[in-house]
Amino acid sequence: MAEHVLEVRDLRARVAEDESEILMGVDLTLGPGQIHALMGPNGSGKSTLAKVIAGHPGYDVTGGDVLYDGESILEWEPDERARRGIFLAFQYPSEIPGVTISNFLRTAVNARRGEGNEVDVFEFQKELRERMGLLEMDADFADRYVNEGFSGGEKKRNEILQMAVLRPRLAVMDETDSGLDIDALKIVSNGVNTLSKEDAELGVLLITHYKRILNYIEPDRVHVMIGGRIVESGGPELAEKLEEHGYDWLREELASPT
Amino acid sequence: MADGVTTAREAGETEAGVAGSRLAAFLETLDEPATLLERRRRAWERYTELPMPTRKSEEWRYTDLSRLDPESHVPFAPESGEEENRDAGDLPEQAARLLEGMEARSAVAVRVDGRTLHRRLDPALAERGVVFAPIRRVARERPELLAERLYTSDVSPMEEKLWSLHVAMLTGGDVLYVPDGVRVPEPVHVLRWAGEGDRLLSTHTLLVTGREAEVTWVEEYLSPDLESPLLSLSGLELFAGDGATVHYLSLQRYGRGVKHFSIQHLLAGRDTRLSGLNVNLGGDLARDDVTSHLEGPGSESEMLALWFGDGTQHFDHHTLQHHAAPHAYSDLLYKGALTDSARSVFRGLIRVDRGAQLTDAYQTNRNLLLSKHCHATTLPNLEIEADDVRCSHGATVGQVDEGMLFYLMSRGLTRLTAERLLVFGFFDEVLERVPVEGVRERLRDAIGSKIGL
Ligand SMILES: Nc1ncnc2c1ncn2[C@@H]1O[C@H](COP(=O)(O)OP(=O)(O)O)[C@@H](O)[C@H]1O
Ligand SMILES: [Mg+2]
Repeated sequence: MAEHVLEVRDLRARVAEDESEILMGVDLTLGPGQIHALMGPNGSGKSTLAKVIAGHPGYDVTGGDVLYDGESILEWEPDERARRGIFLAFQYPSEIPGVTISNFLRTAVNARRGEGNEVDVFEFQKELRERMGLLEMDADFADRYVNEGFSGGEKKRNEILQMAVLRPRLAVMDETDSGLDIDALKIVSNGVNTLSKEDAELGVLLITHYKRILNYIEPDRVHVMIGGRIVESGGPELAEKLEEHGYDWLREELASPT
Repeated sequence: MADGVTTAREAGETEAGVAGSRLAAFLETLDEPATLLERRRRAWERYTELPMPTRKSEEWRYTDLSRLDPESHVPFAPESGEEENRDAGDLPEQAARLLEGMEARSAVAVRVDGRTLHRRLDPALAERGVVFAPIRRVARERPELLAERLYTSDVSPMEEKLWSLHVAMLTGGDVLYVPDGVRVPEPVHVLRWAGEGDRLLSTHTLLVTGREAEVTWVEEYLSPDLESPLLSLSGLELFAGDGATVHYLSLQRYGRGVKHFSIQHLLAGRDTRLSGLNVNLGGDLARDDVTSHLEGPGSESEMLALWFGDGTQHFDHHTLQHHAAPHAYSDLLYKGALTDSARSVFRGLIRVDRGAQLTDAYQTNRNLLLSKHCHATTLPNLEIEADDVRCSHGATVGQVDEGMLFYLMSRGLTRLTAERLLVFGFFDEVLERVPVEGVRERLRDAIGSKIGL
């Protein structure tokens, strides 16, 4: 096994067919079992990084590399990345009319298991119920159409439910905490902590604006992205400093090269 | 071409004495109740008088009948009315397999090449006067059930050519009669299997319910892929009594090599609740002409359809919601998905007669295109003569949403599986309106195996 679950090397990316770069040389490494927080002001490129890692076709990589377990994944289609264990919890999950969560997740589980090795329907239902229990969801949630008419909090919980069922090796969570009230935040954090305990190898990249979620999920490292680059990395205390002083001091440091 | 098929063709040709027409010769061979025979002869006359519709007419603009040659098909031998009644275990393997999971049915019939091999009706229902039998037998034993009903539908001029052929060449048909106040608890389910090409199969369904009766009818059309073409004609006449609730569902899942034409007339009495669903998955060409006649005040009609076309399949749907009475409600929702080079047409009309005030009528057609080469044509229309009505129509043709696709793919689904799951979701709005869970599941399975999910 490679030393790092995720290694981003001098990554540059732009919106497909667009001139200007959004990611302008991102470097980041995440070891097995680690949780890293990625913070930064709006528009700094966090979601773009998350989507490029997941293989979103709307972005072109113009330089650098993304390694997963030591292998470059840039040539892999998004579905292959997912089947190999990469998971993106979306900042804005799609609504899929007419497809129930249960049907969707069973199809996804089977996609990972491969043809001829489909999961037993009853076993799957049992597993799904257990996972829903972990996230304190009602049983009938599984019969609702994916994200259709969900509140913001329900959508985020649904992302974590998918993560819990699919058991990725790398989870990129894009602002999973935004729009959650305190109870939902605790449930979601508790879910992530449980998954991280279950799988000692799980790497988590937690993208957030606020320090709030870091009171419940303790990061090993905190990175700050501004203008498409990681401009500062440190321990959990960095998040405290950002909470107190905002990002301006970092911007100032960037402006006056010393 | 299989040997058996060649023989059938030759046999047909040698019998063709009347003006060289094999189909006319077929009529000469029949021995059946005079009323039926007379109807066939009249229909045949009409058929020979009428020109084959051409693409010059609005109704047939998108489906070309010029290469349809009914004479090149040998009609299946008509049913005798004396049916075999084999146990499910003694049926051909294909048919037996289809019966699996159909225990919860109030009545079942299995036809193979037009002949009924198996029929059962819950004896408790028979005791209450429910009739479920082949047309020929009903013509002999209960002619009053057919009188004023069989072949009386108000078919449009553009339907008449094929309707006449259907009546003249009838292979067989099923009559279901549900008396006043009788509720048939489980669906009545008819399987119609065709195993040979180069043939003409013509099947009729006559559904008659009394007042306040309730029944769900399901018919399925099946065949293997056929190398030489099968011409399938089917007719439905549904007469729903005042206050009755009737659900009609047709699942067309023929193999390739089949041209299927279905003409359906549903007539609603006072305060009747009607619903019809047509699912087209199979065949090379399928054309449905469906008319809801809202003749009774306070009646409700729901018209639904789903199709999934691939390869070079061609599906053509014509609908008429005819509001002849006031205070009636009708809602149409037709949804189709296409891939490869498949084609589909929807042409729908809401017609509100002058006296049909307080009509509530809706018409929606939605199309989902999965490839660059498929094509959907949609032509919704209104013709309103009353002034106090609520009517609307809408149509869309669109592609799958890339954002949704990425979301599904980011969970490991291949692009193809993701697309198919989206199609399934797209269809769900219609499927969830199917009243019986067991039937809904059967439709889902059939759709799932067609789209490969
Ligand atoms: N699909 C897109 N089309 C146009 N601009 C985009 C697109 N995606 C991102 N951007 C731009 O790139 C910058 C970074 O956006 P994003 O990665 O969403 O930032 P963050 O998640 O840190 O708020 C923003 O200026 C945003 O407007
Ligand atoms: Mg973002």
